Amino acid sequence: MSAREQSQSGAFSSASRSLFEAEEEETAAPGRCLSLLPWDRFSAWLHCVCVVGFDLELGQAVEVIYPQHSKLTDKEKTSICYLSFPDSNSGCLGDTQFCFRFRQSSSRRLSLHCMLDQLDRDLPVSLKKDSAYYYGYVYFRQVRDKTLKRGYFQKSLVLISKLPYIHLFHTVLRHIAPEYFVKNEPFLEAVCSDVDHWPPPVPGKTLNLPIMGIIMKVRIPTCHDKPGTTHIVQFTHEVDTQISIALPTVHEVDLFRCFCPVFFHIQMLWELVLLGEPVVVMAPSPSESSDTVLALVSCISPLKYCSDFRPYFTIHDSEFKEYTTRTQAPPSVILGVTNPFFAKTLQHWPHIVRIGEIKLPGEVPKQVKVKKLKNLKTLDSKPGVYTSYKPYLNRDEEIIKQLQKGVQQKRPAEAQSVILRRYFLELTQSFIIPLERYVASLMPLQKSISPWKSPPQLRQFSQEDFMKTLEKAGPQLTSGLKGDWIGLYRHFLKSPNFNGWFRTRRKEMTQKLEALHLEALCNEDLLFWSQKHTEVETVDLVLKLKNKLFQADREHLPMKPDTMEKLQMHIDTIILALPDDLQDILLKTGTT
Amino acid sequence: MALRELKVCLLGDTGVGKSSIVWRFVEDSFDPNINPTIGASFMTKTVQYQNELHKFLIWDTAGQERFRALAPMYYRGSAAAIIVYDITKEETFSTLKNWVKELRQHGPPNIVVAIAGNKCDLNDVREVLEKDAKDYADSIHAIFVETSAKNAININELFIEISRRIPSTDTNPPSSSKGFKLRRQPSVTKRSCC
Repeated sequence: MSAREQSQSGAFSSASRSLFEAEEEETAAPGRCLSLLPWDRFSAWLHCVCVVGFDLELGQAVEVIYPQHSKLTDKEKTSICYLSFPDSNSGCLGDTQFCFRFRQSSSRRLSLHCMLDQLDRDLPVSLKKDSAYYYGYVYFRQVRDKTLKRGYFQKSLVLISKLPYIHLFHTVLRHIAPEYFVKNEPFLEAVCSDVDHWPPPVPGKTLNLPIMGIIMKVRIPTCHDKPGTTHIVQFTHEVDTQISIALPTVHEVDLFRCFCPVFFHIQMLWELVLLGEPVVVMAPSPSESSDTVLALVSCISPLKYCSDFRPYFTIHDSEFKEYTTRTQAPPSVILGVTNPFFAKTLQHWPHIVRIGEIKLPGEVPKQVKVKKLKNLKTLDSKPGVYTSYKPYLNRDEEIIKQLQKGVQQKRPAEAQSVILRRYFLELTQSFIIPLERYVASLMPLQKSISPWKSPPQLRQFSQEDFMKTLEKAGPQLTSGLKGDWIGLYRHFLKSPNFNGWFRTRRKEMTQKLEALHLEALCNEDLLFWSQKHTEVETVDLVLKLKNKLFQADREHLPMKPDTMEKLQMHIDTIILALPDDLQDILLKTGTT
Repeated sequence: MALRELKVCLLGDTGVGKSSIVWRFVEDSFDPNINPTIGASFMTKTVQYQNELHKFLIWDTAGQERFRALAPMYYRGSAAAIIVYDITKEETFSTLKNWVKELRQHGPPNIVVAIAGNKCDLNDVREVLEKDAKDYADSIHAIFVETSAKNAININELFIEISRRIPSTDTNPPSSSKGFKLRRQPSVTKRSCC
């Protein structure tokens, strides 16, 4: 007797709702999927895999791009070349992992674009992909090799992807890169073939991703997850790393380890990130710089950090001039750098985070004081935060004590990170809830929605009205922290993060209004209406309704389930009541 | 019921029918024009064996020479290896012997080895005698069956025998030796074919 496991070969081909049913396990399909072209599955995860080596005459060069048909512009290749190697003379002997982010220089469409957009919709806002950027995940090896002219073997295996899943891709690289450096091209071919058999990155599902002899079990978060909860993938009773590994997260960084060098300033850093202030992280190597930048960006989760950030930025970057110019104020970006040159180039920046080598947190730095900017001369300066910024909020001594106690008691770093993440989450939520509440009040009343008028508009956001709500329903309801909350809000309302957040909310609410309007239309007797009106008006109604249906379908408006069908029925009934010649025309009229 | 994940890899020369065996086992179908495997392909199937569920995590490796060096990633951690040869091609049987040597030297110590002589539906162009293969399998204490992925002969039996050879967790706690040694006396159930 065999308990046959569901074969998944058809799961993706139907492109149906069943694909999005949450929390069921999906295994890689055997890959006979008619509607998917070869490499479509691959493209859902990766843009391409690159090998960057060092050529004595050319310097860094992209030696291999796989799959071979992958498109990268020369500009992108140059970026990848420089960003895949440690900058300057940072030692980095042995194996180093880090990540970078770079601007896409031309737009590309994938054959499965709409499918990916659909997947994107269910992601938490901070994990939604940014169409203008790619991530590069690097595994760099530098070892002495006397047989080579240069005396060193230097090579990077790089995964280029739109997905911000750093933990997943670093785990993949840790598994495959060391073998790749020994086995070369056929190995890469096999890796890409494995990825091309992965199930699509559907939020909320536990996915089994086979890669070079092991299975990685991961779960992509969804926007419906309760923030702060982790859905740790279930282990089977036998845990054997040679068979499978379960990843507790796809995207989270080890927050405590990253913030350890600047431990006393975490709350100030949170403010700086929240306000979209220009921050540069100066680190001894790309792995520390990229980890720290990603930790900074993630500390305001569930808010999305809306400005540009570069976990690893070099002097060769195409945006180098744009970001380092002294003719304008420093841009709202977070940069991670390692080249000592930046200590000079960016010395006019208002906030500089200088970190030393990140050690496993055995001890927490003792110094408390924020350093004066003028004391930062070179990259050899002491670790710390160099700024003249005065935080709006008073420092929370509780979290500092709690984490310090954890260090004394040798609490595992993962547990410390969980505590820290929860602290940031509560702080961010306390800050954002009053705004959420106020913005929700901008929604027109249900009774103002009339099927015979355009949907009502959202009321305007008024800073003063919002500030007035703070007195009774401000962050004091959920946070004990004292300080100048009002000042923090005023500053935030001018920041790119507020803009991005408000744009998203406004879009959601406008769509909700559209949906309610459509539902109201559905409940009217439209046929009766058309009989009382002229033919011209009826035709106009039909065309408008068709247009609305089209828009509702394209934007996936949040409507009650059968609204679309009902509306379609209304349209059909009205058309059938019209003279034959008109019927023909209207049935054929599409909407564009 | 306890679920156990068992990693199984298929090894053998190119074109002997490794993927076809897996397709027959997992999908119960056969495609004469199957493409050559790149690297390895992965499939799973769960079967009940006594009071356990065995989830086979099957790594079907490429037979082509250029992928030869990747094999350790697939047999690493494997509970069983199915080495396949084509009964109508003598040289595939020599390749099989090399795989046995490699597994002995570098494979997991207690890996269950199964030898499958595939394409037994083509008896009239046979080049490897069943008795020779059986004697060899016995000498290394491996499971032996002749199979036909095309006609669905002995495919399920092959996996049932693997399940049978893998020690149950009740009697052998995971800490003690897992799997049977290559040298252990086998007892093979086999259905004669053709």
